[in-house]
Amino acid sequence: MHIVVCMKQVPDSAQIRVHPVTNTIMRQGVPTISNPYDLFALEEAMRWRDRFGGEVTVLTMGPPMAEDSLRKALTFGADRAVLLTDRFFAGSDTLATSFALAGALAKIEQEFGKPLMIFTGKQTIDGDTAQVGPGIAKRLGLNQLTYVARIVDLAPEEGHITVERRAEGGVQVLSTRLPVLITMLEGVNEIRRGSLDDAFRAARAKIVTWNAADAGITDLTKCGLRGSPTIVKKVFAPPPRAEKAYQVATTDLSMEALAETVMDEIFKRQTSLEGDLMRFSAG
Amino acid sequence: MDDTSYVGMHYRSEDFNEERPNRYTIIRAQFDKWFSRKVRDAGVVLLCETTVKELLRDTHGKVIGVKTDRDGGTALADVVILGEGVNGLVGQRSGLRSELKPDSVALAVKEMHFLPREVIESRFNLKGNEGVVIEAMGTITAGMTGTGFLYTNQESISVGIGCIVSDFAENGTTPYGLLEAFKNHPSIKPLLANSECKEYAAHLIPEGGYKSIPELFGDGWIVVGDAGQFVNAVHREGSNLAMTTGRIAGETVVWLKRRREELSKANLAEYKRRLDETFVMKDLKKYRKIPEFLHSNKHVFGLYPRLVSAAAQTWFRVDGADKLTKEKEILRSFRKGRSLPGLIGDAFKLARSWR
Amino acid sequence: MTGMVETGVLGAKVEEKLFQNRYLVDAGRPHIKVRPHDTPSKALRSLTYTCPAGCYSLNDKGQVEITVDGCFECGTCRVLTAKTGEIEWEYPRGGYGVLFKFG
Ligand SMILES: Cc1cc2nc3c(=O)[nH]c(=O)nc-3n(C[C@H](O)[C@H](O)[C@H](O)COP(=O)(O)OP(=O)(O)OC[C@H]3O[C@@H](n4cnc5c(N)ncnc54)[C@H](O)[C@@H]3O)c2cc1C
Ligand code: SF4
Repeated sequence: MHIVVCMKQVPDSAQIRVHPVTNTIMRQGVPTISNPYDLFALEEAMRWRDRFGGEVTVLTMGPPMAEDSLRKALTFGADRAVLLTDRFFAGSDTLATSFALAGALAKIEQEFGKPLMIFTGKQTIDGDTAQVGPGIAKRLGLNQLTYVARIVDLAPEEGHITVERRAEGGVQVLSTRLPVLITMLEGVNEIRRGSLDDAFRAARAKIVTWNAADAGITDLTKCGLRGSPTIVKKVFAPPPRAEKAYQVATTDLSMEALAETVMDEIFKRQTSLEGDLMRFSAG
Repeated sequence: MDDTSYVGMHYRSEDFNEERPNRYTIIRAQFDKWFSRKVRDAGVVLLCETTVKELLRDTHGKVIGVKTDRDGGTALADVVILGEGVNGLVGQRSGLRSELKPDSVALAVKEMHFLPREVIESRFNLKGNEGVVIEAMGTITAGMTGTGFLYTNQESISVGIGCIVSDFAENGTTPYGLLEAFKNHPSIKPLLANSECKEYAAHLIPEGGYKSIPELFGDGWIVVGDAGQFVNAVHREGSNLAMTTGRIAGETVVWLKRRREELSKANLAEYKRRLDETFVMKDLKKYRKIPEFLHSNKHVFGLYPRLVSAAAQTWFRVDGADKLTKEKEILRSFRKGRSLPGLIGDAFKLARSWR
Repeated sequence: MTGMVETGVLGAKVEEKLFQNRYLVDAGRPHIKVRPHDTPSKALRSLTYTCPAGCYSLNDKGQVEITVDGCFECGTCRVLTAKTGEIEWEYPRGGYGVLFKFG
């Protein structure tokens, strides 16, 4: 079974600070990491590969230095890494990104076999849009399962999959036919630490590197800045809320006492709340 | 430096701006990335995020590889070159050398302060690729053996302070408190004004010098860099010694392999022979007595800076006293602070350990 | 302003400094442990102020405790207690621990 995981190298957003005076984003020394959400997708993909056999290919579109995160994915245990890199892709928004990735996926199918599952993370931490996965599915005409918390059942031979999807107000159980595109929720597994063999293999591996032409992407008007209708109007630091958080002190650390203290404090500050709640619970 | 003043020696020279760069400041994370790229391009397989737990030996005790913290984690090798840095746990735990001594290793804390390039250039009076290094000694280390330092990078300033570990333990000062005090010293504070600190780090520096260099080679192994105590504390040099020892180790191994010689202790002695011919061993030998001198003569860090500062004040103040009186007063203050034999003795000991 | 040079001198808060740094904490696998003890030696007690990351503290029973999250893996605590053997010191698993942005 061939599985592809789309991963992105992103700036470690925990390290990004907005300059308190000039309000600009300070980029010096902000390290890049693999988008943390993508690691859940990668681990899930590898688990099903381990179960049924086959290969996991990781695919990244990005600058040449994105090779670092691909090598890391190989260290975790992925079998093959493809880097899609071309200056024509610079400045891509989600529409242009899904166009390029869909192109590369078609090429991957030609070169390395048809993937039964394509994974992405839930979203990236630098864009937070969650649009790229569905965009790819649409372009490739795949069924899509988003926000998947668990793959309940997978039958590659029969071409069938059942998943649990977290949705507002509950969990949906969905079944569909393979191939599919899955966006994986966070916290559903823990990325493994590759073995020493994996580490050596990753260190020696040749990363498959394609430019637009190699990947068979010809319509450059749909790529990069030109293919990106999204316009960033303004970047700003949201003003801090006027209200300060306050700390509640207590000496009794039992669970009931803590709950009581916190509730008392809330009721003290939200004077009508207690009455409302009483009325509500009285029906 | 005393608490409120500093007496400085400045050296600026246009000669430094020659074609061939003569001294650099680097940011390790960036340099290491660049350097590892070079190394990989040269055909090296580089394993990151993998901790070596111990050395593997054959039944004769010859080192034949390492055990790592990954699954299936043993890697075999003809020779293991240990470049594991100051802590050197692998070597220690494999019995190649002993634990560091609290009185011959310094703890340094450092911060990276960011400022726009133009601000740094105008504040430090720099142009092009010039830089400034400030080394400070005095009451800033609260009587401990150590120094403060500040150097400029293109868009940042590294500022830090380091003292001998056993001194920290006896003195009771926190390293970060000491750094804060240094940063707030009237002669340092304006240099950092309005900067933004983006990293606070701490690291040990082996300062035992020549006398504490451990066994450097054995059957199937070589030690390079900080793990071999290759640091010239007087000149704050370590990286260049680490790189040079590493290069010589590599060259020695290649040379032996080309000659199809065994990587035995006797043959690897060639590493030491080659090292003795380099500046690494020559410099360390030259300064072999300095660490001891500084450690057993703490007044160098407290008393002298105070005296020198007082002397400068007396000298520079235009207060109506004649110069001869001033000279006498200065001399008297030195004599009061430390006896004449003490003064002469210090000068003599320092000169001797410098030779 | 956080991170700016501040005026309060020796009351430097180490937590604020550590906030600038980058770590990958290996949750549930502390790489340094203090051996169980009744009364800490002088050396062990000194770690409450010598550790540059302020990892060590005294609990109300007067014993020394460690929280390794801010650790620099510098080795100071190991060197100082080598004689008494009161701590167990390992590097974190490869890839975890402090990740220097600049070094
Ligand atoms: C604050 C400070 C300022 C300095 N300033 C200067 C200066 O201005 N000029 C100068 O020349 N030198 C300076 N030095 C000294 C210089 O940094 C060191 O001498 C040099 O880095 C030593 O190189 P190394 O390769 O031996 O050790 P390190 O740079 O410490 O590298 C050792 C490496 O080994 C890895 N390692 C350790 N154990 C294991 C293990 N078990 N498994 C896997 N990996 C392991 C570590 O993670 C580390 O990456 C300074 C040092 C400090 C602390
Ligand atoms: S290794 Fe250094 S930073 Fe870590 S706990 Fe010990 S003294 Fe503190």
